[in-house]
Amino acid sequence: MILRKILVNSFEALVENKLRSMLTMLGMIIGVSAVILLVSVGTGAKRYITNEFESLGTNMILIQPGRTDKETAMGPPVSSSKGKLLLSDVEALKRYATSLSAVSGVMFGAGTVKNEAGTNNINILGSNDEFVKIFNMVIIQGTYITKEDEDSGKRVVVLGYNVKKNLFGETLALGRLVKINDSEHRVIGIVKPTGDKMGFNVDDMVFVPTKSALRLFNTDRLFGIRAAAKSRNGLDDAVKDMTEILKERHNGEEDFTIITQVTMLESMNTILNMLTYALGAIALISMLVGGIGIMNIMLVSVTERTKEIGIRRAVGARRSDILKQFIIEAVVISVTGGLIGILISIVITYTLFFFLPGFDMRPPFWIIPPAFFLSFFTGLGFGVWPARKAAHIQTIDALRYE
Amino acid sequence: MGDEEIHALNDVTIKINEGDFTSIVGASGSGKSTMMNIIGLLDLPSEGAYILDGVNTTAMSDDELSHYRNQKIGFIFQSFHLLPKSSALKNVEMPMQYASAYNSSLTDEKIRTMALETLEKVGLGSRVHHLPNELSGGQRQRVAIARALVNNPKILLADEPTGALDSKTSEEILNLFEELNKQGVTVIIVTHDHNVANRCKRILRMTDGLVNEEKR
Repeated sequence: MILRKILVNSFEALVENKLRSMLTMLGMIIGVSAVILLVSVGTGAKRYITNEFESLGTNMILIQPGRTDKETAMGPPVSSSKGKLLLSDVEALKRYATSLSAVSGVMFGAGTVKNEAGTNNINILGSNDEFVKIFNMVIIQGTYITKEDEDSGKRVVVLGYNVKKNLFGETLALGRLVKINDSEHRVIGIVKPTGDKMGFNVDDMVFVPTKSALRLFNTDRLFGIRAAAKSRNGLDDAVKDMTEILKERHNGEEDFTIITQVTMLESMNTILNMLTYALGAIALISMLVGGIGIMNIMLVSVTERTKEIGIRRAVGARRSDILKQFIIEAVVISVTGGLIGILISIVITYTLFFFLPGFDMRPPFWIIPPAFFLSFFTGLGFGVWPARKAAHIQTIDALRYE
Repeated sequence: MGDEEIHALNDVTIKINEGDFTSIVGASGSGKSTMMNIIGLLDLPSEGAYILDGVNTTAMSDDELSHYRNQKIGFIFQSFHLLPKSSALKNVEMPMQYASAYNSSLTDEKIRTMALETLEKVGLGSRVHHLPNELSGGQRQRVAIARALVNNPKILLADEPTGALDSKTSEEILNLFEELNKQGVTVIIVTHDHNVANRCKRILRMTDGLVNEEKR
């Protein structure tokens, strides 16, 4: 029989056994949806994180003290004792690294901030006047730390939005005094509320000049240096400049690690791609279960239709005709299930996106052909054995089968 | 039990001519079914030869046997053996769909026309879209006969064709066989019913794997 006719017959057989076909398809529907949905979650997360990351500014360069041989996204552990970065390093970069548009030493640590209204446990960040440029920060009231504040290590503070609200409510905070780790600082600015950015919540922080922060934590070692290149293309030159300048100051030893946002993004992408593939692989297991479901039903179907096989053989069907018939039925079930699965996952993700635009898990277009072929080959693979069984039933026995 | 070979048929030589109306009778265990399976190309003799339409079928491959069954044999069974979920028309179209693999002139339209014509011929022109379970026993057997006839086979091979029918319907079916035979179809009826056998021009009686032609 011609392939087209077998196809038509298979569709008819599926319609004749609606319930059974639906239940068998369900395995494939769930399998394909799971593959698409999990891959979509992976790519959606990647898209989200990449966007967040780029909103921080793409020209950012991080310098951390210490050196690890391994290439990691986040640099060496903070506690690394080898190598140290000092304020004089920041000064040198400012003076000699012409490819940079901004440089700031940073000091970072936990502390308390209090006034008569209460005490807040917060993170304190010490930086100079150029830090706002590096991190795209916006000041809504007052000013950020000025060059003058930094140079003289003044006791001034810029408050994150939540800290301001906790301590002052709706009243004016500018010019008032707060105690940071029991040392009085004057409020000079408020940062625009921005929410969580890469696990780094500006709203819950306070900002003081680097020198004041070093004094607060009683150290001369910086937590690190943050800088911005003049342009994205100039990033590599900037890294080269900085390495040379710092190496010279550190007796020719490269006891620091420079990370650019580009390299960070690259390694982040590697991790997120791995995550996507891992999720896809997990979803493949449900495909496997769906395939076994198809095989199971096809085996039952072969037994149930033994007599039909006998009749078809008696009127002239070859073994290959029977083989084709049952394989095609399995493929039709799995492909129909696969298409429904694709449709369902698209409906689910687009509905979610419609109601929660921030939650963009719409599947990437490239996943659809593989998902389709996956369902096709699952049907083919798991349909072969039952079909072979069907083709090798003895006609005489099949005709007698009740 | 064991290695001993059991011969269902023993030293049997029969010749059935084109246009014959033959019955094969015998008690169960007489080798009747084996004879029918060999004539119908469902089974091959372990020794000897079966020559059908001038061709020795003994060395044929499974595919060739399928093709020959499709072209030369029309089967009719006691319990009809129709596909229960297909209409009368679809059941009759089925042998031609397998034939279309060898014969490209069998288009969908031609298959449909021929199936309708054949159903008309057996007196079922008005019930072509009914499912088997919507038809009476006699009507089902007519569908089966139409299915057997549709590829213009050399032999119409019927296994107890009236075994599941009442006497009135049996009579109608036998009349149909007779009429088909008059039109030139070779009919072989395997039965244990003397009334059926007596309607045929030739009777081959089987006992313990041997065949005797009854003189009429």
